Amino acid sequence: MTFSLLHATDFADRLLYNIIPPLKAGMIVLADRYAYTAFSRDAARGVDRRWVRELYSFAVRPDLAVYFRVPIEVSTDRLLARRVKLKFYEAGLDMGWSTNAVESFRLFQGKVLEEYDRIVDEFDLSVIPAEGSITEQQRTFRKIVTEYLAIEETDDELDELA
Amino acid sequence: MSSTSLPEDGANGAAKPGNYYGYGIPYLPIEGYPGKIIAVEGTDGVGRSTQITLLREWLEVQGYGVIETGWTRSELMQPTIDLAKSSNTLNKLTFVLLYATDFADRLEKEIIPALKAGFIVLSDRYIYTAMARAGIRGVDRTWIRNLYGFAIAPHLVFYLKIDEKTLIRRVLQARGMDYWESGMDMKLGDDIYESFRAYQKALLKEYASMSDEFGFRTLDARRKVEVIQDELRRQIGAFLAESDTSRSEVAPSVATP
Repeated sequence: MTFSLLHATDFADRLLYNIIPPLKAGMIVLADRYAYTAFSRDAARGVDRRWVRELYSFAVRPDLAVYFRVPIEVSTDRLLARRVKLKFYEAGLDMGWSTNAVESFRLFQGKVLEEYDRIVDEFDLSVIPAEGSITEQQRTFRKIVTEYLAIEETDDELDELA
Repeated sequence: MSSTSLPEDGANGAAKPGNYYGYGIPYLPIEGYPGKIIAVEGTDGVGRSTQITLLREWLEVQGYGVIETGWTRSELMQPTIDLAKSSNTLNKLTFVLLYATDFADRLEKEIIPALKAGFIVLSDRYIYTAMARAGIRGVDRTWIRNLYGFAIAPHLVFYLKIDEKTLIRRVLQARGMDYWESGMDMKLGDDIYESFRAYQKALLKEYASMSDEFGFRTLDARRKVEVIQDELRRQIGAFLAESDTSRSEVAPSVATP
């Protein structure tokens, strides 16, 4: 619970100082993780799903939310290749499921990914398969964003015509 | 983002004492725990801590195990809250969430283990103070009640009620007015006296409406310390006698009055 609430506090602070002002100024805010991360991570830690969603009801609903989906093996391999040691909480070592960091990471992140799948349907996130190369992913990402912004622009043009 | 919620999702007056108000903490089931939570509410300077100290002594003499808990006393959060208060970077939302984190920490590490072990938890303020403060600062009342849906409904809630005039004299006599207690963050005015008066008045109104909502047992805090203490003991004594007969496992080991 304290883990969940501390993250919510941090999120509230960033929302009010870093997210809402640029939105008011008409800027695009690129958020590297959003409330959905909390939904999946906190639920994986055993916090009530409905409670977390209500907790974050003060958040602004994103105009576009994109989920980069990878199988658990891929994410484990990538993290292990990148750095020597897995972070304590990232590996879910606080859960006491395994004393082995890699094993614990697999178990915990597996649960996190399950939660994400649920969230994708519930909040209608756009999914980008992330096993492929960065170039490939970026191409898909740009396509999704362009399509979304293009719709917005057409709407604006229509508004001006009216 | 999703905001369709029912009143029973959060803190509400219909909750059964000793159970979670709303969704609770799924990984910490508390059903059947023998301990009791007795909360003493009231604004600053109303005499809560004096009453709690006296109650503790009285209960311990009768053989009850007692722990005390109070706002911002969690080891995890106290330094953070103090720091944030002194640096003026808090907004009402982060303020509310920091308090909730402090409460969650004490709930998991102090209150729930004590209930499990059959202790009486004397809580110097409970979630109601946090809800009152948030309410007058314009935080959505349904949201804050849902937030505290992880809290446990106390067995007894005493509300030490006072009027603002008496309160002002007491606080000035005892230690003077402080920035947060005067609600200076709400920019009600530059004059600390006026701000304190307006802030405490709004708080008292908020407590009054919660008193109906949550069924507080209201005591007149303007009376003498001993008179209030006698009344508290009478009501707590009756409550404990009743629950001791219905469940023998919380029976006190000694019973010398």
